[in-house]
Amino acid sequence: MNTSKFVVAGLALSMSAGAFAAGAHGGGHGASSGEPAKASEAARTITVEMYDNYYEPEAIEVKPGETVRFVVENKGNLVHEFNIGTPDMHEAHQKEMMMMVEHGVIQGGKLNHDMMNMDMGNGHSMKHDDPNSVLLEPGQSKEVVWKFSDKGNIEFACNVPGHYQAGMYGEVNFE
Amino acid sequence: MKPRFLTGLLSLLMPAMVLAGEYDLTVDRVKIDTGDFVKEGIGYNGASPGPVMRFKEGENVRINVTNNLDEMTSIHWHGLILPFNQDGVPGISFPGIKPGETFTYEFPIQQAGTYWFHSHSGFQEPDGAYGAIVIEPEGREPFRYDREYVVQLTDKHPHSGDRIMRNLKMMPDYYNREQQTVGEFFSDVSENGLMNTVRDRMAWGDMRMMKADVEDLQGFTGLINGKGPEQNWTGLFEPGERIRLRFINSSAMTYFDIRIPGLDMTVVQADGNNVQPVNVDEFRIGVAETYDVIVHPKDEQAYTIFAESMGRSGYARATLAPEEGMEAAVPQLRDPARLTMADMSGMPGMDHGNMAGMDHGDMDMNSSEGMSGMDHSNMEGMDHGSMAMGKGGQSDPFYAKGSGLVPTAANGGKFLSYADLKAQDPLYEDREPTREIELRLTGNMERYTWSINGVKYEDADPIRLKYGERVRFKFVNETMMTHPMHLHGMWSILDVGADQWNPIKHTVSVQPGTTVYMETEVDAPGQWAFHCHLSYHAAAGMFRKVIVEGGPESTQAKTDVIAKDGGEV
Amino acid sequence: MSCIRSIVAVSFLASIGVSTAVTAQEMISDTTARKQPLTTWGVQFEEFEYRYSDDDEELGVWNADAFYGTDDFKVRLLTTGEYEIEEQAYETLENQLVGQIPISKFFDAKAGVRFDTPEGPDRTYAVLGVAGLAPQWFEIDANLYVSKDGDTSAELDAEYELLFTNYWILSATLDATVAFSEDEEIGVGKGLVSTETGLRLSYDLIDRAFSPYVGVVHERKYGDTADLAKAEGGGTEDWFAVIGARIAF
Repeated sequence: MNTSKFVVAGLALSMSAGAFAAGAHGGGHGASSGEPAKASEAARTITVEMYDNYYEPEAIEVKPGETVRFVVENKGNLVHEFNIGTPDMHEAHQKEMMMMVEHGVIQGGKLNHDMMNMDMGNGHSMKHDDPNSVLLEPGQSKEVVWKFSDKGNIEFACNVPGHYQAGMYGEVNFE
Repeated sequence: MKPRFLTGLLSLLMPAMVLAGEYDLTVDRVKIDTGDFVKEGIGYNGASPGPVMRFKEGENVRINVTNNLDEMTSIHWHGLILPFNQDGVPGISFPGIKPGETFTYEFPIQQAGTYWFHSHSGFQEPDGAYGAIVIEPEGREPFRYDREYVVQLTDKHPHSGDRIMRNLKMMPDYYNREQQTVGEFFSDVSENGLMNTVRDRMAWGDMRMMKADVEDLQGFTGLINGKGPEQNWTGLFEPGERIRLRFINSSAMTYFDIRIPGLDMTVVQADGNNVQPVNVDEFRIGVAETYDVIVHPKDEQAYTIFAESMGRSGYARATLAPEEGMEAAVPQLRDPARLTMADMSGMPGMDHGNMAGMDHGDMDMNSSEGMSGMDHSNMEGMDHGSMAMGKGGQSDPFYAKGSGLVPTAANGGKFLSYADLKAQDPLYEDREPTREIELRLTGNMERYTWSINGVKYEDADPIRLKYGERVRFKFVNETMMTHPMHLHGMWSILDVGADQWNPIKHTVSVQPGTTVYMETEVDAPGQWAFHCHLSYHAAAGMFRKVIVEGGPESTQAKTDVIAKDGGEV
Repeated sequence: MSCIRSIVAVSFLASIGVSTAVTAQEMISDTTARKQPLTTWGVQFEEFEYRYSDDDEELGVWNADAFYGTDDFKVRLLTTGEYEIEEQAYETLENQLVGQIPISKFFDAKAGVRFDTPEGPDRTYAVLGVAGLAPQWFEIDANLYVSKDGDTSAELDAEYELLFTNYWILSATLDATVAFSEDEEIGVGKGLVSTETGLRLSYDLIDRAFSPYVGVVHERKYGDTADLAKAEGGGTEDWFAVIGARIAF
């Protein structure tokens, strides 16, 4: 029951927070979202479930400087991402993710791992190995340990093309 | 535990609706003011469009429809899955609603999403008898938005439906004001040379086909939620909000290309069924289709919703704005589309003259060869300039290779294709179809006759399906027009080559010169209408009755009786 | 919680109730207008005009048809008249009543009767014709006439429209008559009888319902027919300036 109440409250909060953030701070970002950390440093674990195409919960509360261990579970039928960043960072990352779809790395409900690890010729690959994110196939579960730096406009988001825009994001609210 | 509680909470909020919703609709003569003209029409509850009917998945609805007209009427719930005798097609579902009579529809709501309703009697729908349906899901929506608007389009014409039909029969080009002129001849000459242009005109003249046959019915005013471009329907928002726009094309005849300059749109639903989100700059909405998009305007400014007709003969316009009265620039109409020989490629028995080298087999959507398989040597007359492919524009597998109808986004960005539509949560298990039924879409523009497999509805036997089978329909468009095919009562699983992720629709557009497949799980007993949703094509005969045999026992018995006494010929 | 569950159960039962009602419902056969052949009608004045000739002759002229019927069969009334304004007399007055059926993708066959009741002797003919759209957009109407007395003649009408714009339209018409036998009483000689060629520039003012035009028309008689006309003291060639309107409703 408590959890449910939290979800409802979080939902209501996220709507007003989202509107406020974009309205008031439109363009004024620049804050980095934080840095990777070790699981042993985390005082708290938050489980984030991925569905098609939304998270549960859709908003979390953290303290500035807090290290959180996220257990991310994909309970949907599609590939989803969990990525911590500012809206601008997400937008930039969406272009890379679009490329992954165009190259057949992300195929609806599965990932093409061979393609992912393929050398693109310029030393780059389409590996998805940034520490602030995980990319999960349906049924998969992974962890992200993140030390939030400061107050800022931070969201966790799925940047599979279209998912973020459709609403697969959650607010990180600083206490 | 958690989801169950949430569902319970939602149910508590609307206890009355969970039990049974009772709704009243009156069918009335109304005045329709488009800003360009005022016209007598037909509406619901005193207005056209009628009210937005808001249902809740899982509820049982009772809708009392009172006919205040002096003629028969009916309401068809477009896209809703319901018992066949509630589907509202006179002569197929029920006899119709007599003047002065109140008919009570009663059916369970088993789905969620954006749909619409309209009269299925005569030309009442083009005359204004339509409205929107919004069904809230039992669980949560799989996307987030702060507010929503229905954006219902139509192509309101100053002429009544009966008059339009008669004029089209008398002169099929009565409403076509985009025909090729002497001026276009000379501009083509300067672009492609005299001989090429002459050969091009001769090739089309030989077929007695017009490159300009993109829109049968021009001269309309595009309306959004009943408002003309000047009346400018406006939806308000707070900057930073996400808005769900429920686009419904309730036009009699017009396809619209929709964009909102300055905003990306994310398509999340098509024909009431959620699709995997696609970010687009522009999309084409066929007649009777619906698309739900989410937009995220961040700035304190107005945005124009601009819906250009496919043939560029008209447009609808509305505004999203932070405040009433704010406006954004209204774009110019782009040049009218011109058909190409590729769009004609579906026509059999056509006198191609020196085009005999063309391999028609290569022209359908599954072709990998496409135009390269064509013998170009005798076809210099073809207007390559207007071929979308030749211009390096995007291609779309749902258009003939080299079609003049391939849409491109005004800003050069992404234009939605059927190929982008993937089911978010497939409704049916993917399985092999039990059989295939070929439906050739046929017609004769010069006589304004439209038919399926060359047979008009008046002369046709019903299509008989067996309950429990999965039928693969093969649409072969042998005409030069686009046909939005609508099967009542059962879903159309559009084959976009995505297997289990193929999207589920109620209306499937088939472009000229293409072959499109859709599959249907035959899971609804009774008899259903199946037709082109262009009002005047359906009325001219591009229409079928589908009988689903078998299923629940008592239905089966009735079907046998009808089959025996031959009442259904 | 249990309260909610029971509500859901009620609605579930109700929905079952509805589907039971469905199966008991009679399936009906479609007797609506949709299942009947579509019947249409139309009236068109291809020409409705005032003509002024190079020798000051003034004519009121019409060329109209009305139809009623279906795709498979239409009844068509065609009427043509030339009224001499000064003499208050019909130079020509032809009325045809024909039945029309499609015979190919672009052509119809017509059969019926034609009554000519101008000033002077009347004539009744049987009519057999084809009308339709020839390649390159020529509207063709070709007819064979056999009079009660066995005189036969043929008439070819062709029209081509040139679109300066989608509203300014130049139409070129040619009407030629050939007689296979002489009918001296009405001034028809054997061979090529006459031609009428016209050029009309019209503007679609109200839809395609009312399109005023101006133009020129050239009429000429040939061979024996010309000789007969000359013997009567008439001319064999006329140029007309015309003003009028194409009307459809």
